[in-house]
Amino acid sequence: MSVRDPLRQLARRVIDAGVARLERGHDGAPTLDRRRFLLAGGSSLAAALLAACNSDGPERAQRVLHYAERRNETIERWLTRHASIDRARAGAVTAGNALPAYHISPTVPVWDEATRGPWSLEIGGLVARPLRLSLDDLVRLPKRRQRVNHYCVEGWNAVDDWWGVPVRDLARLAGVRPEAQYVDFQSFDADYHESWDLESATHPQSIVAYAKGGRFLPPAYGAPARLHSPLKLGYKSTKYLTRILFMRERNGGYWSDRGYEWYAGT
Amino acid sequence: MTTPTRRAPRHHWVVRVTHWIAVLAIVVMVGSGLRIFNAYPGFARRGERFCCYPFEGRPIPDAFTFGGWLAGARNWHFAMMWVLVATGIVYLAFIYLHGEWRDLVPRHGDRRDAIQMARFYLGLRRQHPAQGKNNVLQRWTYFAMPLVALQIVLSGLAIWKPVSLWWLTAVFGGYVWARFWHFVGMTVLVLLAAAHVFMVLTTDPYSLRSMITGGYDERLSPEARNARPFHHLLPRWGRR
Repeated sequence: MSVRDPLRQLARRVIDAGVARLERGHDGAPTLDRRRFLLAGGSSLAAALLAACNSDGPERAQRVLHYAERRNETIERWLTRHASIDRARAGAVTAGNALPAYHISPTVPVWDEATRGPWSLEIGGLVARPLRLSLDDLVRLPKRRQRVNHYCVEGWNAVDDWWGVPVRDLARLAGVRPEAQYVDFQSFDADYHESWDLESATHPQSIVAYAKGGRFLPPAYGAPARLHSPLKLGYKSTKYLTRILFMRERNGGYWSDRGYEWYAGT
Repeated sequence: MTTPTRRAPRHHWVVRVTHWIAVLAIVVMVGSGLRIFNAYPGFARRGERFCCYPFEGRPIPDAFTFGGWLAGARNWHFAMMWVLVATGIVYLAFIYLHGEWRDLVPRHGDRRDAIQMARFYLGLRRQHPAQGKNNVLQRWTYFAMPLVALQIVLSGLAIWKPVSLWWLTAVFGGYVWARFWHFVGMTVLVLLAAAHVFMVLTTDPYSLRSMITGGYDERLSPEARNARPFHHLLPRWGRR
């Protein structure tokens, strides 16, 4: 901020000077030839761009960036529909405890049975048969074991073995209605949630995971159950899951509402 | 000698426009890319080590980054990439259709000319070797830049879509290596661009005009001035 302020001052002065030169040319005879016009106009334009800059770039650009994100989403959806199965690389080391963990609550969210009663996963919204599954119910369902990548928005990836129930199986159990196009995954980690497009959510590799590396999830990794999928960046996979809601419209998400891409496909 | 104003421009307007759009796009892409890189300034898969990057864990200074924060930089990166790709396609299509690519493709005898050019720049040879529009080192650079850019675009797609475009990611040796090659390609492109800017400013500053208005006075060419970096910057009006 402080470094840019003198720059902005300078930029404003250059704009004023450029505009003044242009106006002088308009008063009387056309004193401004093409070269001078280009020089004055060009420097004013460049200075205007500079003046409109904060650390995120020109403010006007945000709308363009948002437009680009929506256009990209069209391409990403098309790509996802065509070929998308993640395979962990042969020989890749299992991340285990090297997998970074985070939460948005001040402390690690732990489901306190004494105050909140037994944990359960609610599956609702546009479904024929709303469900409420305990952890035992989940474990008894046919499980999927997968060794896949975790792609973080920060740029790292991590290979791990995840056990869980595919979201598509839960969707079938609950009988999702055809008008449902989006799925919201909600948590008890403050107000953390992320909504997904139905195709990615019901991809076979998108699972409600309750174990990693053969052990039930510890609180740091989202116990008792979390969403996990290599199909989207890590922040889309809600941890500390409480509710899966099938919806007609998308519902944003914790990070998507804060400027990160909503689709975030891989 | 005809007057410079009557001649065809040294660079067609399509080349000039795409050149400056590319400059803007590459600056934004490099800046935002470095900001994205700073979110995880390393290459190792979690739980592993990476062999080939000595500065693991050390972020790039903020002054070289653009976008402000990770999400801002990503949004810029994923928007500007289409500008860069579109500009590249227009430029390559143009120089193909106009036949100008012939001047940039390496050809027989280039190595000998390059040695002479290097000898001249190092002061081991007095006279500037004869050349056409560009000298051989320039032609190599202008030939290499689109190739490096292509490598950057492909490795960029590979790390943007490692699942959907898994085959492309596999070509680069997996996600970790694709990310590394993306970084290496960027570094090479920046070095080539830096060398280009250095040579323009120190050897042929008169060519700046040719990339803006298209005009160029052959009497001011480095060959006519016998110019190497910082030497003979001023024209030799009387002697030719």
